[in-house]
Amino acid sequence: MTARFGHTELPDEQERALRRAVRLAWLTIAFLVTAVTGVYLVMGSSQAMKAAWMEDMLSFIPPISFLVAVRVTRRRPSARHPYGYHRAVAVGHLVAATALVAMGAFMVWDSGSGLVKAEHPPVGLMEVAGQPVWSGWLMIGVMAYTAVPPVLLGRAKMPLAEKLHDRVLYADADMNKADWMTAVGGIAGVVGIGLGLWWADAVAALFISGSILRDGVRNMRVAVSAIMDARAETYDGEGPHPLVRRIDAALGALPWVDKARSRVRDEGHVFHVEAFVVPVDGAPDLTELSRARELLCDLDWKVQDAVVVPVEELPEEFLPGLREETAGHDAS
Amino acid sequence: MTRTLVASLLGVALLGGCSATIPTDPEGTLDRVTGGTLRVGVSPNPPWTDLPEGTGAEPEGIEPDLVRDFAETIDADVEWTAGGEEDLMGRLEDRELDLVVGGLTARSPWSSHVALTYRYLETVAADGQKELRVMAAPMGENAFLVELERFLLTTEVRP
Repeated sequence: MTARFGHTELPDEQERALRRAVRLAWLTIAFLVTAVTGVYLVMGSSQAMKAAWMEDMLSFIPPISFLVAVRVTRRRPSARHPYGYHRAVAVGHLVAATALVAMGAFMVWDSGSGLVKAEHPPVGLMEVAGQPVWSGWLMIGVMAYTAVPPVLLGRAKMPLAEKLHDRVLYADADMNKADWMTAVGGIAGVVGIGLGLWWADAVAALFISGSILRDGVRNMRVAVSAIMDARAETYDGEGPHPLVRRIDAALGALPWVDKARSRVRDEGHVFHVEAFVVPVDGAPDLTELSRARELLCDLDWKVQDAVVVPVEELPEEFLPGLREETAGHDAS
Repeated sequence: MTRTLVASLLGVALLGGCSATIPTDPEGTLDRVTGGTLRVGVSPNPPWTDLPEGTGAEPEGIEPDLVRDFAETIDADVEWTAGGEEDLMGRLEDRELDLVVGGLTARSPWSSHVALTYRYLETVAADGQKELRVMAAPMGENAFLVELERFLLTTEVRP
């Protein structure tokens, strides 16, 4: 089956990236199952371990939303959904971000109050194969195990997120990459308990919770802005997408076009383009217009939907970027 | 900034690690009771604990016997305090006691206020439910807790 997003068939490179990303998402879920089981078995009453466990639980959301979003966005546009189902990505992203914010806030409060109430975590023995072992060592072992795989998974996913222009995958990869800090924080908390520094545990928990909250807030900002029809930006939200300028340039280079500016909406994986063109003299004929449209769709697989509108002059009310030629996507 | 925090936490931990045994008591309970006095709260719950009538009578039952054996291993004298479970747990939380026994199980609702030990015995209740018999130690006094648990794990107990 050819991979596609809506009615866009993916080029080979993206198709391979998508397959790999789906495999990595499943791999992430498999790893997380082992991680949450392991951490749960040893966490005892350590706040830091509890925070690390919650984080692992929350880490299920991004790969699952990615898998769901990929399935949903494959559907072709229908009469009820003429724009396709690409917003599934934004929905998944927002759901993941909301979960992170809610849990992060709760956990900051939970571990903060542990610190204020000076809760001293008890960590005693566990029997492993008939041998009594201080549970702290087991906790440290499990935390060390959970430190490495996410970093590798994150590194593997990051370039795919760029190729597929997938924000959920990017958010997932970004969180995975930073996950070793949770493990190190958890280990520091447990070592602290071992040394009789009861507060180290709560401080480590606070640190882990804070990082969850921060991830949530950052992702929520990006997700909400996508739903609010922000201009098309790069997958990491760092700046305007370079494709927008290429679209304007490609149209501007047509012999019958005097000026061209477009507004581009990021629907999820794909872009919907509305391009306004001022013809050199008089109205363009239908062939010219449909060629212009094809030109845009051939520019990049991400251009899924393109509307070319001939106008007498560029409409400022639809192109707010015009007024600030020094900023915005159509700048410089 | 977060990296600095983690690094400094680890630094503190490693520095401390050179001199201390792991785990260590934040308030030094094990050090204090070793060769000293172990203050034990007993709430009656036969056959686990029992308080015979009469002045100067020592608590009896499975758990007081265990406590006496444990105290011997760390060369401590036992000072008994009899009372209701709630009162004793409060005193344990306030560090007026070092240990509370009273036929507690791992499902005890006190688990968020005191440290319940590893089970020293598994019993089956009248309704067929498994019950894990435990004792209660102060929160976070982990060297003491581990010493006690090690003793309980290596001791054969028969109901």
